[in-house]
Amino acid sequence: MNRRNFFSGAATAVAAASVSRVALAALPEPAMQSSADTAPPLHPPTGRPYNPVVTLNGWTAPWRMNAGVKEFHLVAEPVVREVAPGFMVNMWGYNGQSPGPTIEVVEGDRVRIFVTNRLPEHTTIHWHGQRLPNGMDGVGGLTQPAIQPGKTFVYEFVARRPGTFMYHPHADEMVQMAMGMMGLWITHPKGSHPQIAKVQRDYAFLLNAFDVEPGSMTPKVNTMLDHNIWCWNSRVFPSISPLVARQGERVRIRVGNLTMTNHPIHMHGHEFEVTGTDGGPVPHSARWPEVTTDIAVGQMRQVEFIADEPGDWALHCHKSHHTMGAMGHSVPSMIGVDHRGLVGKIQKIVPDYMVMGERGMADMGAMEMPLPDNTFPMMTGTGPFGPLEMGGMFTTLKVRADQPAGSYIDPGAFKQPTGTQAFEWQGAPASTPRPARTDIPGTAPAAASARKPAASGHQH
Amino acid sequence: MTGARCFSVLAAAALLAGCASVSPDGLRSDVAALTAGRTAGVPQAALPATDPAARAQAQQSINGWLAQPLTQDAAVRIALLNNPGLQARLAALGVADAERVQAITLPNPHLTLGRFTTSQEREIERTLAFGLMDLITLPWRTQHETERLQIATLQAAQDVAQLAADTRRAWLRAVAAEQVAATHDRMVEAAEVGAELARRMAQVGNWSRLQQAREQAVLHEANSQRARARLAAATAREDLNWRLGVWGAQAQYQLAAQLPPLPATALPADGIEATALRERLDVQAARRQLDTQAVRQGWSRAGAVFGDIGLAYSRNTTTERDTGSSDVKRGWEIELPLPLFDRGGAARTRAQAQVEQSAAQLQDTAVRARSEIRAAWLTYRTALDLARQQQAEVVPLRQLISDETTLRYNGMLASVWDMLAEARNSTQAVANAIEAQRDFWLAETDLQLTLTGTSPGALQGLTSGAAASSTPQGH
Repeated sequence: MNRRNFFSGAATAVAAASVSRVALAALPEPAMQSSADTAPPLHPPTGRPYNPVVTLNGWTAPWRMNAGVKEFHLVAEPVVREVAPGFMVNMWGYNGQSPGPTIEVVEGDRVRIFVTNRLPEHTTIHWHGQRLPNGMDGVGGLTQPAIQPGKTFVYEFVARRPGTFMYHPHADEMVQMAMGMMGLWITHPKGSHPQIAKVQRDYAFLLNAFDVEPGSMTPKVNTMLDHNIWCWNSRVFPSISPLVARQGERVRIRVGNLTMTNHPIHMHGHEFEVTGTDGGPVPHSARWPEVTTDIAVGQMRQVEFIADEPGDWALHCHKSHHTMGAMGHSVPSMIGVDHRGLVGKIQKIVPDYMVMGERGMADMGAMEMPLPDNTFPMMTGTGPFGPLEMGGMFTTLKVRADQPAGSYIDPGAFKQPTGTQAFEWQGAPASTPRPARTDIPGTAPAAASARKPAASGHQH
Repeated sequence: MTGARCFSVLAAAALLAGCASVSPDGLRSDVAALTAGRTAGVPQAALPATDPAARAQAQQSINGWLAQPLTQDAAVRIALLNNPGLQARLAALGVADAERVQAITLPNPHLTLGRFTTSQEREIERTLAFGLMDLITLPWRTQHETERLQIATLQAAQDVAQLAADTRRAWLRAVAAEQVAATHDRMVEAAEVGAELARRMAQVGNWSRLQQAREQAVLHEANSQRARARLAAATAREDLNWRLGVWGAQAQYQLAAQLPPLPATALPADGIEATALRERLDVQAARRQLDTQAVRQGWSRAGAVFGDIGLAYSRNTTTERDTGSSDVKRGWEIELPLPLFDRGGAARTRAQAQVEQSAAQLQDTAVRARSEIRAAWLTYRTALDLARQQQAEVVPLRQLISDETTLRYNGMLASVWDMLAEARNSTQAVANAIEAQRDFWLAETDLQLTLTGTSPGALQGLTSGAAASSTPQGH
């Protein structure tokens, strides 16, 4: 980390003519975060009032008012992020974590953000989706010189329109985003807004993805699509905080996508409407109900619904690979391959060998096999009824009748009312799973024998 | 001079050559004394005896050693007792000894009898003559022949040292080749499982024929490598059999399971050149050769000038045929060559040149010994470093890679075939480590031979590959 000339660098970092010299005289102390837990919402101690958001496994940056200007201090620096307990990743982030703290302001606020660079290379911050002076847009080389290591730059503009935004570097952008540099920006409406409803719960998270070689802890920054760690706010299931709501509350979820692929975010048990994008609120007339909304690369979606169905509801990316942990995409499928007679032989050569994949991969969720150091398993997580076999962009929406308003405490597993759970049929048993085929590949099994209802095995 | 006095002269001459008796054990004890500490690190290895009882006892010992897993010590002991080539060599030394005795035995005197008749008389001549030169040069020749025999003994001792070293090398190669062949069994097992699983994958439609074919190819490759490894083991064993001089039922012995472990410390290089010059038998032989030529130079001068000096005693009886009266004529006769044409110059030059030749040969042998010992030590040291690296670094590293691949298999990050391939690589590393260990001991054998024995010829250590060990090492 390059700390040289930290303060003196700040004194010379006059980025734009509109920045007052007085403000620079006192650099705000940057707030740091050492925990990957979800911080409670930060109710505004100063400035205009608003209903704060809850950043999943994140936090909101505190600010200081300086002559009517909200001042934040972001420090770009290398961090070690706990993506899941026992799985640490070397990332670049802001103020101790990746993603950086959420910046919450109110429509019309003048905001001044000090950005100190403690990275080994230059950086900038681009304020994605904001209306601002061109010189504040944060595109290195285009709108400003890059912030060199050890230097502090000042961005200052008025948050002109309410909505959901994000910030991220626009200098060596591919590397710095692959390393986890990003954060959320929420501009709350000033007073009431005809297209922005009042909500009781307001959740926000970013979608981000990393490629961490099993057994290592630094993302491979050159990977384009074949990532193996699919995160919400640099966190994976089962370590992503659940979204909790009291039954009947109006809930808003804001999601931004800074991966390099789209993510169809799907919610169980409820329909929602997309009420806004990073372009602003969606007019009521343009909204339609959905249970999945696809969030394209570089987009933000803000969905709202009434949490009126009690229960533990899955909330996840519908790309099934994105709800998995590290996996080998070139590992061949072993389904249906008879291993009889070979296990002992393999164990003679590799004593720790166990058969996996012969019947599918669910074994993986149940067996806790030793993995390489610092490797997030492909499938993990256990619920009240067994392994969830997930890992990645997955969490739960927990709706409870008795969840106190404003409480974000995890209520635990949902107690399903009697007679409302799927149950095992106790009558005459159905046929057992079909055994592995033994005929020649590329030929269809004979229809008559295969469809015999009582067939307990193959005829050929 | 009477006949009795004449006889006493001959007796004195015979006494001079009195040391010229044949060694009762064919000089084997001399060879054994020279080879002490030079038999490939095996202390007090016995040589084949001439005595039948001792030979029978040796055969018993050999059978005893062959009944146990054969150690390198036992292999060397057996070879020295049982190798027919060595027995032939030692017998040849006995022949040389007999020839020496022959050479320094005085030539038998000549008795000339003549009967001549004329019309008047009948003459009977009796002459007893012998060459004096042989008698004069007898001390020189005795010394010369002794020296020559010592050189022959030194050469036989070098052959013993060579055989001991060759046997040890053959043992090292045979044991290593057997160990390596065993690792190939494991590699084939891994490839077999991979190929069988691939077959089942293709059978249920999970894999294409291409993917299956790749695993089958792996199995064939593993099988052919195992066949080579087994051949190498068999030929290495045959090479050892030849050194041991065994065949048939005796060749059914079991080899020791493992090579000796690597030593904790390396022999230092200090003073090795001095040791080699002092201890090496070939250097000693060259030194002897020079001494012998110097001695020969002395008597060759006398012999060349005077050639052969003949001394004869004649007793001639002349009998008149008519009267019957006899007249006896006695007398001495000495025969001397006149150095008119051959003044011995050429012979002296020849002797001088031979001394110079021997001196140069001694120097050459010494220079070669110095160079060889330095090369042998360097090979030894490098082989030790390589073997240690293979054993202490590469094998654990390959094991780690194998273990880590298993962990990745556990996480469904790697396939069974990846895991099996790493198991094969890991086993190959073990095979390489065995070969590196063998190469170290070969280099150590070279070093010992070069240090105290004789020239090793080409250094045997640091050959590579299992096939290399199948080449028989002749000398």
